[in-house]
Amino acid sequence: MNKEKLSRRDFLKLTAATSTGAALAGLGPLSSIAAAQDQVELTFGRHWEAAFRPRQAEYDEGFMERHPDIKVSITYNTWADHNNVVPAWAAAGTLPDIIYVHGSRATPWAHEGIIIDIHDIVVADEEFNVEGMWEESVRLYRVNGRIHALPYDHGPIILGYNKDLFDAAGMDYPGEDWTMEDMAAAAIELTDPDAGVWGWDGGLDLGNGGGGFFTGAWGAVTMNEDETAMTFDSPEMRDALNHWYKLIHEDGAGASGTERESFPNSQPFRAGVAAMGHIATWSTPSMRALANFEWDVAPTPMGPDGSRYTGAFGSGYGITPTSDKPDVAWRYLREYLSLDGMIFMWSLSGRGSPARPEGLEAWLTSDPAPPSGRYFLEAMFDYAVTGPPFQSLAAAQVSNILSREADLLRLGETTVEEAIATITEEGNAALDEVAGM
Amino acid sequence: MFRRLTQPISPSARREERIFYLFIAPWLIGLIAFSIGPVFGMLGLSFTDWRISLDDLQFIGLDNYSKLFADPIFWTSVGNTLYIVVGRVVFGVSFALLLAILLNQKVPGIAFFRAVYYLPTVTAGVAVALVWIWIFNPRLGILNYSLKQIGIQGPDWIFSKTWVKPSLILMSMFSVGPIMIILLAGLQGVPKELYESAEIDGAGNWAKFRNVTLPMLSPVLFFVIIISVVSSFQNFTEIRVMTEGGPGESSNVLIWYLWENAFIFLQLGIAAAVAWIMFVILMVLTGIQFRVGRRWVYYEADA
Repeated sequence: MNKEKLSRRDFLKLTAATSTGAALAGLGPLSSIAAAQDQVELTFGRHWEAAFRPRQAEYDEGFMERHPDIKVSITYNTWADHNNVVPAWAAAGTLPDIIYVHGSRATPWAHEGIIIDIHDIVVADEEFNVEGMWEESVRLYRVNGRIHALPYDHGPIILGYNKDLFDAAGMDYPGEDWTMEDMAAAAIELTDPDAGVWGWDGGLDLGNGGGGFFTGAWGAVTMNEDETAMTFDSPEMRDALNHWYKLIHEDGAGASGTERESFPNSQPFRAGVAAMGHIATWSTPSMRALANFEWDVAPTPMGPDGSRYTGAFGSGYGITPTSDKPDVAWRYLREYLSLDGMIFMWSLSGRGSPARPEGLEAWLTSDPAPPSGRYFLEAMFDYAVTGPPFQSLAAAQVSNILSREADLLRLGETTVEEAIATITEEGNAALDEVAGM
Repeated sequence: MFRRLTQPISPSARREERIFYLFIAPWLIGLIAFSIGPVFGMLGLSFTDWRISLDDLQFIGLDNYSKLFADPIFWTSVGNTLYIVVGRVVFGVSFALLLAILLNQKVPGIAFFRAVYYLPTVTAGVAVALVWIWIFNPRLGILNYSLKQIGIQGPDWIFSKTWVKPSLILMSMFSVGPIMIILLAGLQGVPKELYESAEIDGAGNWAKFRNVTLPMLSPVLFFVIIISVVSSFQNFTEIRVMTEGGPGESSNVLIWYLWENAFIFLQLGIAAAVAWIMFVILMVLTGIQFRVGRRWVYYEADA
């Protein structure tokens, strides 16, 4: 073995190299610490259910790679609790930088200073194409003409049907020329009590979005344009409510409120025992996952005068006043709510209802989109209108009244006349209470 | 305090007193900071237009109270609350007493039955409420299924304006574990000699229950009734999970009315007023119970 003796010079070289390496290695963590110190933490209050959180995490990881100076931290609430948690955060002064804002909460939360006016930031950002969003969706977040939040989703409500039950009855699927009368006649024909099948799933909703589907075709209007008075007491509303009440309680062709409770999430249509039901894009992933039958969608049936109408609604994100970095929050939102962001989050994932037409178009290629999903797009372009109440400070109270009376109508615990009288009286009282605020 | 003013106390007693206050200090500070303080803070806020922010609060006097008294739903919720409280206390305490008497018997496997009846108490309230939603399901629920077996068409339970309150009372009877345990402890404290004396005097079971058990148990019953009234007022989980105040407003109780005003309508000033009204109602009811209690509660020490 040839042993070479280490010269003094070699020793010094080696020592220098080793110590330099050690010094550089030591600087590594230091530089990481410096980077971490430069990082800004952006906090979020969201509501995704557990199954959708990996998608969000994937998006955030990509965002943080693109923006190493930002660290995204999320607090998740359940959807049902979020609207109650946010006011508690606000009262305690612990709001995160960005919060999920259901469309019905935008006006009251803007009024209470829970979300800030972002109009100037949005308009000044030339790369952020706010005009590319559904105008009906942005309208939800305009308070006194100024944008206070931005939508991520917005969807119309149209008719869903169980192809298997139609096939078994030897009936044609709902068509583009269907009226509400055609729908009711088919529902009666499809109903088979012995088989535990209803033609209609018993849905009857009077609130945001749903109200438009159930009453708009008759020309009925819940409130006046600026949401200062109820216009519920009208012959058109009477006709609309009588149509559904008769279908459920007299014809027995729709599951009653009590009967609906026997099915998960009170949805006989999804359980496969109702031939038709109302459906939104955001409910298609659960249909895809849970419905063990063939199903599709059709346009909302037309009213007596041949006009078509439905409601649409959605949710968005707002920046809070306690955020000390609204500029950073906007850097996130402008990407998240861009077309690319929406396609990643809500189109390709199949979640549904992106608030941009191109996003909804892209969603049509996803797994949960039904074969005739294009009808959602048509509804958004042609006849869906964002459903009240959402502009009034009494929106929550009015929604509560509408929801309560719809519940009683489904259960058969009130009559159409009583419901109309109660909604009108209590709704107007709630609106008067906030007049001038 | 008076004793201290009139009688000098020894240094050791004073040291003992200081130690006493030192030991209870954590609890006392917590009580003042998190209970008494907020109670009076809430009173102040009930006279304001508090919505979310505490900045720019406007003093509006009794406006919140006036609005409440003019709101028919408030009165509905007061009526519903009293209905449910009376039902829960009368039926709940009676059922708990019956169970306690049964579980006080010396029979094999009694520990098992005690555990069974206490089990709902240690189960999460939300889980219990979810189970009861299915028990009450008019089509698939075990309750209506059982009734059907004996030829009775069951009602719609929590989905009916008429039946929702009785349903909630019925459900509460299965969560009487804690008061049952207290009553059981009370029963076991009744001296056996009293029963023996009663038997010598020729008393039957009913006479022994009426003349021995009830008087000896009356301080415990008094305590149980007071805590049952308080807890019935504060019962929120079932309403939140099972009925949300419905159908209509038929199960809208004060605590739900308060919560809706605070977290749905963002009218925190009104919610504070409701909280104070509840507080006053509870104080009055407790005061009445103490006054009436003097007539029927037997304290052995006073005899």
